Order: sequence, then structure tokens, then C-alpha cells
Amino acid sequence: MSPRPRLVVALVVGSLLAVFLAYQALFNSGTLLVSVAQLRSDTDGAAQKQVTLTGTVVRASRNGSPMRFVLRDESSRQTVPVSYRGSVPDAFQTSRRVIVTGRLEHGVFVAKPDTLLTKCPSKYTSGGS
Amino acid sequence: MLAVYATAGGVMAGLRRDRRTMRSAQNAFAAAVVSALVAIAALEYGLVTHDFSLSVVAEHTSRKLPLIYTITSLWASQEGSLLLWLLVLTGAATIALHQNRHRNRELMPWVAAVMGAITVFFAGMASFVSSPFAHVAGAVPRDGTGLDPSLQNIYMAAHPPMLYLGYVSMSVPFAFAMASLITGRADARWLVSVRRWTLVSWTGLGIGMLLGAHWAYVEIGWGGYWAWDPVESAALMPWLAATAFLHSIMVQEKKGMLNVWNMVLVIAAFALCLFGDFLTRSGVVQSVHSFVQSAVGPYLLAFLAAVLAFSVGLLIVRLPTLRADHKLESVISREATFLFNNLLLLALAFAILWGVVFPILSEAVRGVRATVAAPYYDFFLVIFGLPLLALTGIGPLIAWRRASPRSLWRMFRWPVISALAGAVLLWLAGFGSSPAGLTALSLCVFVTVTIAIEFARGTSARRALAGGSWPRALLDLINRNRRRYGGYVVHLSIVLLVVGVTASSAYSTVREAHLAPHQSLRIDGYTLRNDGVFQRKGPNYTLDFVRLTVLRNGRPDGVLNPGQRQYDTGQVGNEVDIRSSYATATDLYSILQGVDNNGSGGVSVKVLVNPAVGLVWLAGIVFALGALITIWPDPREARQLARRYGELLARSEA
Repeated sequence: MSPRPRLVVALVVGSLLAVFLAYQALFNSGTLLVSVAQLRSDTDGAAQKQVTLTGTVVRASRNGSPMRFVLRDESSRQTVPVSYRGSVPDAFQTSRRVIVTGRLEHGVFVAKPDTLLTKCPSKYTSGGS
Repeated sequence: MLAVYATAGGVMAGLRRDRRTMRSAQNAFAAAVVSALVAIAALEYGLVTHDFSLSVVAEHTSRKLPLIYTITSLWASQEGSLLLWLLVLTGAATIALHQNRHRNRELMPWVAAVMGAITVFFAGMASFVSSPFAHVAGAVPRDGTGLDPSLQNIYMAAHPPMLYLGYVSMSVPFAFAMASLITGRADARWLVSVRRWTLVSWTGLGIGMLLGAHWAYVEIGWGGYWAWDPVESAALMPWLAATAFLHSIMVQEKKGMLNVWNMVLVIAAFALCLFGDFLTRSGVVQSVHSFVQSAVGPYLLAFLAAVLAFSVGLLIVRLPTLRADHKLESVISREATFLFNNLLLLALAFAILWGVVFPILSEAVRGVRATVAAPYYDFFLVIFGLPLLALTGIGPLIAWRRASPRSLWRMFRWPVISALAGAVLLWLAGFGSSPAGLTALSLCVFVTVTIAIEFARGTSARRALAGGSWPRALLDLINRNRRRYGGYVVHLSIVLLVVGVTASSAYSTVREAHLAPHQSLRIDGYTLRNDGVFQRKGPNYTLDFVRLTVLRNGRPDGVLNPGQRQYDTGQVGNEVDIRSSYATATDLYSILQGVDNNGSGGVSVKVLVNPAVGLVWLAGIVFALGALITIWPDPREARQLARRYGELLARSEA
């Protein structure tokens, strides 16, 4: 009654792969990672869809909901205003490099809640191996 | 101090040439432990006496830092953590060689050689690339820059050493596997020696991850504890591979199957450990953790490539000697269940790995940088994790070789019936809002019942045999079969973890609000009222906090004081306030997001109700307990091992 084990194992491996590939194909899960300059110049259609944006904070205020700040490109002088609500990392402040996910709407980068991350430029490692 | 250090490196290098004389190799490792200790002691002395001429000290501590964090800041820096890494590595090598001094005579020289090679690499890194005793350029500063505030936490003091223990002790199973391949003695003997080491590594990684998660939960303050950050994934991947390995070695020990597979797993686990270290230190992917573009990165990558090339090459050369003794007879058997468990674990690890390297791959292939986010990982955790959970229940009960449908029904009728009943009850109670959550919780019922049945059956059999009281029989049972029942305890902790994670992620409630003075917000039966904003001066910060009075059914039910610290250095730190209920394990979690500038006393707050999150931490304690039961040395097991070892020897020589 039991089918040949080898066949079943092969089928299981196959179906795991299939799930993986199907997810990649259907959801195209990757979001584009762009700089402020790329967002401004609409590289790869970055201004039309949801992207993950990296930049340096120039004007920051922790108050207001949604909170507003301006990001500057790391290698040019271009900037973009960001509107964000949700939790703010401890290290968020002017001149920090941050990454945030959202989309450009009428010249303002509207971020998804709770997607703001800071990168710390100071010589300091997390300890969290 | 540099001299002390160079000597340590020299001793380790000398060891490579001495590998034939085992005693000397063993002593060399012991000497290496001593030099690593001396180096650490020297650095600690520098830290504690505030010797700011050392750049490590100047950059990670300050005079105001409390003593305990001054001591633990050793592993806040990369240089210091390399030293700790070396200490654990040489310590593990010494213990492994000492344990096996009368066993595995052909294997041990090669084990020593492989461990030696790994040690030489890391010692080289610490001596030449990232020296912990480098001096600051220019004038000696009067005070250090201080330790990042979020690291001044007791969980952060314990989390890195745990992870190092996990990452590093994986090199022992790897060394044994390589030795076994080099000598061509590819029977199951090496497995016997490495099971406990794998357990140590696996336990270290598991507890390390949970400590880190708890730290994030109480300190970082976004209301969660796991964010699929690449560095978190970095520790999860080897843990998954090690879990697969721990299960499949049972199949090889008992049935002589999956020999090649086990080699692949141990190589994968070790490579993933190195990869994890690389991810953390290289800054190659966008991560909240990868702060430093460090010089160590390229070397680690090269070492990883060399290790992979060497071990995979060796495996291919030795492939003919790894023939399995038996074939899989039926898909309804314990072997098959373990195999599927392995496949699922590896599939999950691979999906995570894909997610982590996706930005790099997509830049290389399409020229576009892209990343994947939490929904990607969550999808695979659910799609691969739920069947895995079901197998956790099935595996321990199903027969080896071949199980008949009739015996299956006898074994599983109660677990299946209770899981279905549980599903209906949960659905009626309104848990249907998340189908994945409902499935996960029902599977948890299934697994719990199978484990309970196993314990009940074993205990009553033990009682019939030896008499005595029930608790006595239960303790006896666990004591006599530590591997088996310790394993069940670990399974139980996985169930607790799944319940905690499921409930706190699928059924949590979040409210954000701006509250004027005396205004209140409602969440899940709680009412929180803004009863004023206060300020307090700390040693190196100013704390602003809001007093939120909690009301439940109109009656006062405690106070929450979430705040924000403004450090003198200009940094800001969230001080969340969490109220845990021990009865329901539910947390009321409050975050102060901002205080109005105009002095009106208005605040922006975020409040979460995280049900059953306490079970996640409880799972950690149960996990540690179960792991301890399985690791604890057992003279009875040692005798059994000696016998099995003899049998294997006889078989391999026959």
C-alpha cells in the first residue's frame, strides 16, 4: 500500500521548492532599495512604487504625529521630505543615516508605520554578535 | 601586553606542526587558553582602571559608566569580543581533547589540527587585523565616549557571550566531522563524540537569541522582540541547521542511514556560524546591528570560502565510504518523519538565507538593490513551520522502520481528537481572526497531548516496574532516559514558544493616541489616563515621563510610567513601561513617543496589549531546563556509548 519512499521524499523536496518559487513569482517580494537621488530621478520607477529609502537626516523633530523630517542624499545635495508615524528608534537624530520604507506621494515620502531604522555611524558595535 | 598576545598566537601556530604528538597539542591548547585569559585580564584591567590610551577603552567606556557595564563592555567592542571568542574556542578545544584522550585515537590528531587551524585564523585576526591593544591616535583623552545607552542593560551583558558559546562550540562537531572524513573512518563513531557539543552550541544559540529578544523587548521599545533583522536571522540559521543535525544523528546512530546528509548538515551549521559572524562584522547588508564597516569582513569571507571549499571537496572525495547501511523502507516511519523534519528545517534556513542575501544577489544580477521585509519571512515561517510543528508531535511516537495504519490510529487518536476539539473551541472563542494562528494553536494542543501521553505511559510503566509514588517514578523515568525525556521537555518549550509568538503576534492590539492632560485612551478593556508629565535628573541624562493611570472596569489597576531619556551626549533613549500579568502572561506595553513642546502637558503615546508574550520567556527557561537534562553527563549513558562504540568498532573491522 505504501508508495515508494524515494518517490515521496523527492515529491516533498519538489513541493518545498515549488512553494518557494511560487512565492517569489507571485509576490515579487523584494522592495527596491534606493538613495534619495535615485528616488528623485525615478531610477527603475522608484518614484512610482513602494521602496526602501536610505539617506541622512537633516532636520529632525521627534514631535508631531505624523512626524516630519528631511532626508538628504549621501553623495549629492538632493533632499526629500518624509512623513512618518510609528515608533522612533532611540538613535534617531540629525545627521544619522536611516532607512525607511514607503512611497512618494505628491513630493512627500509617506512612510509605512514602524519601518524606520537607524544606522549608527559612530564606532560602536552592537555586541549582539 | 602586545607581547603576551603575540606569544599566544605563536603557541597556536606551533601547534599545527606538533599535531602528531597529541600530548603536546593538548598542552598547546591549554597554554592558548591561559594566554587568552591573560590577554582578557589585561584588557579588563585597562577598562576598569580607565586607561583611555587604549582605543577600545576610550571608545566604549567612560568614567561615569557603572562598574558592571565597564566589565561587560569588553564584548561591546569587536576587538574585545574577538578575545572572548578565542577564549571560548581554545577552551572548547582543550576540553574536547581532554574528554577524548582515551578514545578515537585515529581521529583526535586531526580534530586538534582542524581546531588549531580555526584558532590560528581567529588569533591572527585579533593580533594583526583588529588588535584589542591598539592605542588611540594623538593625545590621550580625559574621558571616554561612553557605552551606548541601549547596551547598558543586564540582558546585553549576558546575550553576546551566550551567542559566542553557540557560534564557537559548533567548531568542535565540525572538527570531528572533518577528522572522520580525513581518516576515512566514516562510520557513526564521530557522532557519538559530538552530540553533546552540538547540544551545547545549539543551547547557547537558542538562549542567546531569546536573551537578545528579551533585551529588544524591554530596551529598544517598539513593542516587539523579533524583527527579522539580518543579524537575528544570522543566529537563527545555524540554530535551525543544528536542530536538523541533532535529529538526523539519531537516525544514523540507530539505523546507519543519512551518513552523507549528516556531513552536509554539520558543514552547513558551521558555515552558517561563520556567515553569521561575517554578516555582523562586515556591514554588507542593511541592518540595525551592522554598524561598522570593519576590516575583519573580507578576511572572514575568505576564511568561510576556504572552509567551504575544503570541507565540501573532502566530502566529495570520501563520498564512496559514506554508503548507508539501510534504505528507507516506508514513508510512514520515524526515519521518514525525521527526514521530513530535516528537509523542512533546511528549507526554512534556506528561505531565510535567501532573504538575507537577496539585496546582494539582486544588485549583482539585476543591477538594482532590493530588500525583502518581514512579510516574506513570516510567510515562510508559517508555511514551513506549521508542518514542522505537526512533525514534532508525530516523530517521537511513530515506530521505526514501518508503522501500520492501525498502530497509527491507536497512537494518535487522542492527540488528533483533542487537537480538533481545541480548534473548535478556539474558533468559538474568536481566534478564527487569524487562520494561521488558529492552526498553530491547534497543533500545539496536538503536540502537548502526544508529549503528555508519552510521559504518562513511561511513568506508569516505570511505576509498574519499580513501584513507588508517581512523582518518584516520573523523576526516575527522566533520569534513566535523559536524552529522550529531555528532548520532550525541549519540545514542550517549543510549544510554549509557538503559543507565545502566535498569540503575541497574531492577536495583539495596538493603539496610538495623543493625550491632553486627563484625557484617556481605551484598549482591550483597559483605560489609560494621562495624569501628568514629570521630569527627573539622572547621572548622565534627563528623564521625561508621563504618569498613565490604568483603569480596568472603572477601577484603578496600577500605573505605567513610560519615559524618554535625553542623554548629555545628545542621544535619546526610550524607557518603555511594561505591566505583566502573571496569571494570563499578557503584557500591557506603553511607549512615550513625544511630549508637546508648548508645555500643555499633552503627550503622544503608543500602547500595545501583547497576549501570552510571557510564554516566550517561559519557553526560554523550559528550553534551558530540557537542554540541561539532555546535556548532563550520565554514567549509564556513557557505559552504553562505550558498548555501542565497541560494536561499531567490531562492525567496521569485520
